[in-house]
Amino acid sequence: MSNAFQVKDLRFKYKSSKEDTIKGVSFDVMEGEIFGLLGPSGAGKSTTQKILIKLLEDYSGEISYFGKDLKSIGKSFYEEVGVGFEMPVHFSKMTAMENMKFFSGFYKQTANVQELMEQVGLWEHRNVKVGDYSKGMKVRLNFVRAMLNNPKVLFLDEVTNGLDPKNARILKDIISDYRNRGGTVFLTTHLMNDVEQLCDRIAFCVNGKLYEISTPRDLKLKYGKREVKIEYKEEGATLDRIFPLEGIGLNEEFQNILRTKEIETIHSGETSMEDIFIKVTGGVL
Amino acid sequence: MRNLKKLVLGELHRLINYKILPISLVTAIIWIIIFLFLSEEEARNIAPLLIFVDVSMMSIILIGASHHFEKQEGTIKSMMMMPVSMGDILLAKVLSSMVLGLESAIVTSAALYFIHGVTFNYMVLLIFIIIAGVAHAAIAFILALNSKDFTSSLGLLMAYILPFQLPSMLFTFGIIEKEYEWLLMFSPSHAASSLITFAVSSDYDALKVLIGCLYLVFLSIVLFRYFVYSKFKSNAVRG
Ligand SMILES: Nc1ncnc2c1ncn2[C@@H]1O[C@H](COP(=O)(O)OP(=O)(O)O)[C@@H](O)[C@H]1O
Ligand SMILES: [Mg+2]
Repeated sequence: MSNAFQVKDLRFKYKSSKEDTIKGVSFDVMEGEIFGLLGPSGAGKSTTQKILIKLLEDYSGEISYFGKDLKSIGKSFYEEVGVGFEMPVHFSKMTAMENMKFFSGFYKQTANVQELMEQVGLWEHRNVKVGDYSKGMKVRLNFVRAMLNNPKVLFLDEVTNGLDPKNARILKDIISDYRNRGGTVFLTTHLMNDVEQLCDRIAFCVNGKLYEISTPRDLKLKYGKREVKIEYKEEGATLDRIFPLEGIGLNEEFQNILRTKEIETIHSGETSMEDIFIKVTGGVL
Repeated sequence: MRNLKKLVLGELHRLINYKILPISLVTAIIWIIIFLFLSEEEARNIAPLLIFVDVSMMSIILIGASHHFEKQEGTIKSMMMMPVSMGDILLAKVLSSMVLGLESAIVTSAALYFIHGVTFNYMVLLIFIIIAGVAHAAIAFILALNSKDFTSSLGLLMAYILPFQLPSMLFTFGIIEKEYEWLLMFSPSHAASSLITFAVSSDYDALKVLIGCLYLVFLSIVLFRYFVYSKFKSNAVRG
């Protein structure tokens, strides 16, 4: 696997702000993975994405895209990447289909718009003006827009924000499929669900810095409470006990409960990603 | 080139879609009706003013309104995610903004011809409209890029009109003396309006035409190169 992006000591300051918004971050996005930036609002996630898609240019540090300096790559970059923005990006007085036709006309290679629109449930609303779309429909249309050119790398800024659970699920399934077919995804989110259900690797982002770039599983192993909670019946009441996972096989008390009581549930102590986030960054999501 | 054509067609499609083109066509037709009641001389005098207003003021308002509208819609960002150069995106906007000027030039010329039998060199008028249109598009972008919404860009437009267009109108009505006209030539709007007047009246002052053309071309290059191009991208990224 090669690196889609390699970012070293990236710093960025908006002209109007006093201090750096991105304060020296380094990370790689590997080809074929879903890489997620997780962090609270204002952390600098969208700014980082805007730098990677060449919308913001006056950054310091190094960014390479498939081995080439990002700054040296011309407009052909946009043949290869698809970008989903957080806010709507469509001509509101034109229909969804007119919008998609307009944008797709500029790419050498285009996806099957009908198929995409059907997948996200917008096909029957294709001739409705985007201005009359609900917020969730606009979010889904943004996603279709991002996929229009069959991108090699997909950027998604808060892709499920404002979607109901069903539609969020549909988008996540499409994104996973896309990755399974070899696509690379860079996404930003403040939602734990997105990270746990989608990302192969994540980085915690707070106040322009990154903490702990890792897989969700490794984070849970590293920071999760290693314990087992057991619920059982005793004299008509439900009781619970917590045991350390370490040496559980030799734990007499635990074994005893298993042997003698009516067990209702057993859970390994999963620490939520949220708890881990707070533990690692000291910040709140 | 192919992309530029698609971009321009997209802009024109939107002008129709947003009813801007149809409305301006109706206004132009109202002018024709007025021409029916004017003498040939009066019509000849008023025609350049009509064309000038569409080339300058209307295109400034059009570019300002569509810039703020599109920025709010986020479509400029989306267009920047296409394999198209920013120069092409800007050029398409400039070209399509000239449609209003061209449209009123065509309607006005046709009215002059069919109602009063007046003809002049249409090619010269076309060239002057392009030169004046590009310069005013540059001014329009500067006003739009330096205002936070359409309302405040109208404020800036007023601030532009007072020193740059008002004296030119006073001059047209004879309130400002002829000997001060060279001063007025510093106003891109006056330069534009005198070029258009020359074309329609077929009465050329070669030196003024030369200075007017050179000045507007020079101004367009400087404004686009140093004030519009650099700011356009960072402006679109915001929000
Ligand atoms: N165009 C801009 N000019 C100045 N500051 C900005 C601009 N855009 C964002 N910021 C600031 O940069 C910080 C990070 O913003 P952003 O990247 O949008 O965060 P996130 O996407 O993580 O919510 C915030 O403090 C925000 O106010
Ligand atoms: Mg954001």
